[in-house]
Amino acid sequence: MDSFLGRYRNLSVLLLLVVGQLMLLAFQIRSSQDVPLIRVWVASVVTPLARALETGRTAAAWFLSEYFVWQDAVRENRELRRRLGELELRNRFLSAELATAERAQALAQFRARIPSKTLAVRIIGSGAGPDAHTVFIDRGSSDGVMKGMAAITPEGIAGKVVAAWPMSSLVQLITAPGAVAGVVTQKLRLRGSLRGTGGALCMLEHVDTDTPPEPGEWVYTSGADRVFPRGLPAGQVKMVREGRAGKEILVEPSGLKSRPDELIIVLDGVHGLIPPPGAQPAEGVSLLPPPPPEPGAEETAPVRGANGNLLTDADRLAERYRRLSEAQGVQLGSKGKVPDFTRDPAPAAPNGATAAPAAPARKQEPPRP
Amino acid sequence: MRYLRAEKDPDSIPERPLFGDETRFAAGRIAVFQYVIVTVFIYLLLGYWDLQVLNQEFYSEKAEQNQIKSLPILAPRGKILDRDGRVIVDNHESFRLILSRDSLRPAHLRPIALGLNMDPAELEAKVRRYQNQPTWFAIPLKEELSLDELAFVEAFRGQNGFPELELIRSQYRVYPKEGLAAHLLGYVGEISDAELNSPEWAHHNPGDLIGKAGVERYYNDLLSGVDGQRQVRVDNRMNTREVLGVKDAIPGRNLRLTIDLDLQVVAELAMEGKRGAVVALDPRSGEVLALVSRPAFDPNRFASRISAREFNELIQDPYRPLFNRALQAQLAPGSTFKPILALAALESGAIDDSFTVHCAGGATWYGRYFKCHRRGGHGTVNLKTAIAQSCDVFFYAVGNRVGIDTIAEYAEMVGLGARTGIDLPGEKEGVVPSSKWKIRTQREKWYAGETISVAIGQGALTVTPIQLAYAIGGIASGGVFMRPHLVRQEKPEPPARIAGFRPENVRKVVDGMCAVVNGWGTAAASRIPDIEMCGKTGTAQLASNDLLRLKNHEDWHDNAWFIGFAPGTNPEIVVAVLWENGAHGDMAAPIARDVIKAYFDKKARMKKPAQPPASLASAWLAPPALDRKKR
Repeated sequence: MDSFLGRYRNLSVLLLLVVGQLMLLAFQIRSSQDVPLIRVWVASVVTPLARALETGRTAAAWFLSEYFVWQDAVRENRELRRRLGELELRNRFLSAELATAERAQALAQFRARIPSKTLAVRIIGSGAGPDAHTVFIDRGSSDGVMKGMAAITPEGIAGKVVAAWPMSSLVQLITAPGAVAGVVTQKLRLRGSLRGTGGALCMLEHVDTDTPPEPGEWVYTSGADRVFPRGLPAGQVKMVREGRAGKEILVEPSGLKSRPDELIIVLDGVHGLIPPPGAQPAEGVSLLPPPPPEPGAEETAPVRGANGNLLTDADRLAERYRRLSEAQGVQLGSKGKVPDFTRDPAPAAPNGATAAPAAPARKQEPPRP
Repeated sequence: MRYLRAEKDPDSIPERPLFGDETRFAAGRIAVFQYVIVTVFIYLLLGYWDLQVLNQEFYSEKAEQNQIKSLPILAPRGKILDRDGRVIVDNHESFRLILSRDSLRPAHLRPIALGLNMDPAELEAKVRRYQNQPTWFAIPLKEELSLDELAFVEAFRGQNGFPELELIRSQYRVYPKEGLAAHLLGYVGEISDAELNSPEWAHHNPGDLIGKAGVERYYNDLLSGVDGQRQVRVDNRMNTREVLGVKDAIPGRNLRLTIDLDLQVVAELAMEGKRGAVVALDPRSGEVLALVSRPAFDPNRFASRISAREFNELIQDPYRPLFNRALQAQLAPGSTFKPILALAALESGAIDDSFTVHCAGGATWYGRYFKCHRRGGHGTVNLKTAIAQSCDVFFYAVGNRVGIDTIAEYAEMVGLGARTGIDLPGEKEGVVPSSKWKIRTQREKWYAGETISVAIGQGALTVTPIQLAYAIGGIASGGVFMRPHLVRQEKPEPPARIAGFRPENVRKVVDGMCAVVNGWGTAAASRIPDIEMCGKTGTAQLASNDLLRLKNHEDWHDNAWFIGFAPGTNPEIVVAVLWENGAHGDMAAPIARDVIKAYFDKKARMKKPAQPPASLASAWLAPPALDRKKR
């Protein structure tokens, strides 16, 4: 059989195909369908493939078309963002320019008002560490900035130049530990030192704490420290509290309140006057009066200790004898009425009023040897 | 070139290795490099040897000095109290500024001096003076800083300013105001170079504050304590890291004076606006109850290192406020010398009770007419009247009888012409003229006419107010002379001198002096009711009456003296008053009157039964209770 089929292979295949065709025809006739069976078969075989191909083509087409659209969108988005950024930057720049212009105007007004020769500088950095309390400024010794010069703002004192290099300088802020300014309170004119504590508030030291300044009272520079010219606002008393060694007076430095970006370096300080009680430093621009006509009129007093009463018993006794002789109408050491020292002297009259007359003398027995 | 040749002919084999020369060259370089390294190492080893072996102690000490810093703790001086414990000189706390030489930078001296209102050259000179001292020895810059100076120092202290500035809390002197008792108390000041070189102050160091005058100087060792020290460990920025140890200062001892503040104050007020001195003594013990010299200075200005300008002002003041007139004014005593002459005459037997002189307003002695102060004369006067009315003619005659050498002998016997020995520096001797004295000092013989002037306290005779108080106090006490002293003593001192005066002679002189005030004498206007004050006025001429008539210059007016004591018997207080240019002796008497009145009034108050003070005023003379507790 095999040899036969093998010998007549083509014929055999043809016969098989014809027989198969005949059987299929018979089946199609019997099934009474309009569609030819071959077509069904072809359709059944080709359609899934075609569908898959179409799906793939559609997906590819969609992907390709969407990809390019997305690419455009991304590009456009980037562009828009860039433009937005540019606009924001420009806006910020313009705002900064406006603020700078306002500050510059304020600084210019302030500089025009104070008699000292000053230089406006920009803060370009701060000292390392959060507690550094130092800032770098963009002017240095080539601009005339020297170590020890005062750094101020229109609101008040800010600090002191502690190092000056050719192109930049280092300013120690008044809040830095160890930073000190000589100050005087506005109402009672108590002289003292404003010392940085490392925090936001400064400590007012060496003042007579028997009559401490009230919270809210302004503190002005006294000029005694040879750094800050007299009459600049230094800050406002924030609180008076009991400390370990007596009363502590905390002052909020006014010059650093608004976190300034620019400072004014006092190149050649001229002392001003301390505003009278009630006068408030103007916001933004200091209302410094013209230069004082009589510099050094304020008396300097030695530092007094906690119990600083500089009178001795001898002074008090002299005052009492003086009152006694005044009350008796006697001038000691002069001819005339003999004083009676057995009497009590009149108590000290308040406000310089005339002393009350002394009580009548009590008759006494003369001393006998 | 070799490379090129090799490239040209790649098959050729070089005779020597291609890099043979370079290798040798590199080896040479390496050898040099090795030598350099070895040299450096040898140098480092030598340095190490120097640091660790040769001078180890020196460098170790230097390192320790950099690491450990010593800060002085100044000992407060003792307070000065009056006899009742009331505070005359107090202390208060302030700041002292010192210059730490460990961290001193010469470039800082000028700005520091300018900031402290000092002369830069003066400061530089001061730093130079300390060059030979150890580096840990700080230079004191300013005492008792003012608030302005403190503000400057605080602003510039530390690494960002002048790291050499150091503030030290210390105690400073508070003296009474307006120069009250200034000459008595003296003042403190920085030790000078001259003082440092003197044996008296050899144990002090540069920069120490020492007593410069008065009690402050005399009792300096007692008043000044011993300074302490605080040792701290510092970092390389001289910030204190650790307190290593504290040696507390030993405060000075309080000094209780014999001064009675009530009397001192009254005397000071009585001398206001005048030039002169008041000395009040207790003749029974020699205790000084009051000692005033005017014009005075403010010792508080010295306490905080007086400036050269201020000191020059004081020095150049024509009225010499630094001059202690109570101890140093050597002036003619005028008629206050008459009681001494009277006693000398009685004791020497030159006169007796019956001796009288007729005063016609003047008399001629040795060819010269000597006037009496009363132009019309006193008529016939005896000793008592002569003392009471201060008759010059009577004493001319007495002086002439006694003779200069006997006068000098008795004057010296009562303490004139020598220091009294009061515990204050700078006391002067005065002059008691005699024939020997004149030969010794002027190489001339004494002329009898000169005795006439000395007899009324003029001529070459000069005394100091304290001498006069000492002399009259001793006479009034019957010839017992007690050394004047200012510090209260546990045990009474023995008399400095007991002169064997006859009591009846003393009584005669004292009676005459009592008549000066209580009778018809020259100081009758200064009589104190119920208190027997005795005394003697004195008017010492500075210029002739003719000159005064021509030019009535105030500084040429006569000096007014008064010496008074009370009571007349066993006196408790003697007061000598000098009023320069006071014109008449009776002008000085009210000053003594007020001091004596204050003494007895206080005594009367103290005798009263103690009552609780109804008011501040009623307790005005009581010593402060706080101070009593402290004592």
